[in-house]
Amino acid sequence: MFKKILIANRGEIALRIINTCKDMEIETVSVYSDVDEKAIHVLSSDEAIYIGAPEPSESYLNIDKIIQAAKESHSEAIHPGYGFLAENADFAERCEQEGIVFIGPSAKAIRDLGDKITSRKIMVESQVPVTPGLTNTEADPDVMAKEAEKVGYPVLIKATAGGGGKGIRIVNAPDEMAEACASASREALSAFGNGEIYLEKFFTNARHIEFQILADSFGNTVHVLERECSIQRRHQKIIEETPSNVLTPQLREEMGAAAVAAAKAAGYVNAGTVEFLLDSENKFYFLEINTRLQVEHPVTEMITGIDLVRQQLEIAAGNKLSLTQKDIESRGHAIECRIYAEDPANGFFPSPGKIEFLKEPKGPGIRNDCGVYTGFEVPVEYDPIISKLVVHAENRPQAIDKMKKALKDYIILGVRTPIDFLIDIMGSTPFSKGDIYTNFIETHFSDWSENFDESDIAAIAYVLDEMCNSKKLITGISGYNEQMPFSTLGNWRL
Amino acid sequence: MEYKLKIREETVSVDINSHGENSAKAIIEDREYDLKYSLISENELHLMVNGKSINAYVSQTADGKTIMLNGKVYKIQDEDKIPKGPKKKKGASGPSTVTPPMPAVVIAVTVKEGDPVEKGQGVVVLSAMKMETTLCAPYKGIVTKVNVKESDKVMPGQILMDIDPENIGPENIDEAKEEKVAALET
Repeated sequence: MFKKILIANRGEIALRIINTCKDMEIETVSVYSDVDEKAIHVLSSDEAIYIGAPEPSESYLNIDKIIQAAKESHSEAIHPGYGFLAENADFAERCEQEGIVFIGPSAKAIRDLGDKITSRKIMVESQVPVTPGLTNTEADPDVMAKEAEKVGYPVLIKATAGGGGKGIRIVNAPDEMAEACASASREALSAFGNGEIYLEKFFTNARHIEFQILADSFGNTVHVLERECSIQRRHQKIIEETPSNVLTPQLREEMGAAAVAAAKAAGYVNAGTVEFLLDSENKFYFLEINTRLQVEHPVTEMITGIDLVRQQLEIAAGNKLSLTQKDIESRGHAIECRIYAEDPANGFFPSPGKIEFLKEPKGPGIRNDCGVYTGFEVPVEYDPIISKLVVHAENRPQAIDKMKKALKDYIILGVRTPIDFLIDIMGSTPFSKGDIYTNFIETHFSDWSENFDESDIAAIAYVLDEMCNSKKLITGISGYNEQMPFSTLGNWRL
Repeated sequence: MEYKLKIREETVSVDINSHGENSAKAIIEDREYDLKYSLISENELHLMVNGKSINAYVSQTADGKTIMLNGKVYKIQDEDKIPKGPKKKKGASGPSTVTPPMPAVVIAVTVKEGDPVEKGQGVVVLSAMKMETTLCAPYKGIVTKVNVKESDKVMPGQILMDIDPENIGPENIDEAKEEKVAALET
């Protein structure tokens, strides 16, 4: 096993990786930019190396600087986390060239799967069902419109590169096509440096269900069950859970087998995620493989007891998978809520700023992968994720109740978070019935607004806080003056 | 003692009277509350409201306090402490300045000095926490000054661009003049 690794990431995911490394007695090296000097990953790792300015291109996305930091610190391997360089084939290749182990799949697998066209082709060849649409890139909106007629509106215009909801447009009618193609392409170009787009059918009443996979370099591939990730805003997941309440044992087995086949077809090694769409008739279609540790990996860990980061490290170190498919069992139900610094009452606009006060929820079955602390300034330069609140309980209704309680106990002051919004989702009928599709937020919560049912108590708290603090200030000042020796010593010099 | 508090757009009057150490009675409209309270830390307040235990979390903001109660956020101001600034013009809809809604980084400035702009035309593209937003011209006019450039960090209230209004009807001439002054001050 490695003695020392570098983590090319920040915030909660860097801390998550550091925690497993500590369990395994692997030394950790963090990297940080100017605004992250006091970030949690810097405070928690064994070493920390400054790599540059806050702009990602100058620091967390800068391959040269990260490679240099790894060499300087004699790190044997690099864990990229998610985002930043996690799905950058050039980075993985550079690590290979420099003799540093990249904790993830090969550069070739990242390159093939990162390109949605190549990955669709691989899947078609391996008879994994893909969503209807193009298997080539297309720049001409007229050709796109013809294809759209063929598969039927609405359709998705999608960037061939990247992910994270960038470079995606829904097109409902032919007259929206030209503008959608142009803006998707522009956004993709600025986000991924590649403006190529293609088209696939958009399913309005579909679920987003993904399978976690683990594959070693000896040809052993297993799936670690599914995650239901349908609830999204701006094409980005906000609530995930496992198991899915619609998968029958038979469907789970079929989709799991397809996920394993997809991974094998791509020559995949390490942890990855095969994403599927499940339509209203329970037919599933391959979407893509995410070649990284997913944001929502903790729900899988909760129900299986498997530490996915540990598995990643074992696989990267060249060890054989210790698990076979039949070893993977699940118990109970897990839900994750992503806590972003954003305002749910104002179009989920980002809300960066200083965390004035933080109190994390506690109790049996509650896990909070948190990347901030009281006094930390949440930077504007990076992803707005503050933490991932995860609960585990015997069954789904109990998990929902536990999540409601945990959310109510989670206090974050200084930045706006969607905690109140998430409480309302947890308490809603469609969520408790499990009627969750990718259009869940638009359908049920598009006109959501804050409700102030306890404004009397809030007003009372305001007044009492005012009274307590003014009293404290008065007694505090007089007491302070009397007791301080310096005030009675007179003038003196050091 | 009486407090006039502003919660969202509503004013709530709280009449509160101390009853010895850490206990009080509050009246809001016709509702009475028996209170016991203790300050746990700078930000934590434990209340007994009519015998029921409640934890409230408080932080000071630039213009009041934010209170968190059972997962909900309440922004509250003391009416007596709200500075009496110039009121917003009645009937004014939408933003009247080119200013960011949150701290952000400038990605692109899509017009230059001397360019004519239409009301609603995108003029500055911002990015905050990986999300892009376009700020639009609040009215028709000519760009007289661009105050920012690519990769500048900007804050709410900062005016990113001066636009000289043109073709002003008599009904909004005052507003437009005011705008120009505000723009010049920054």
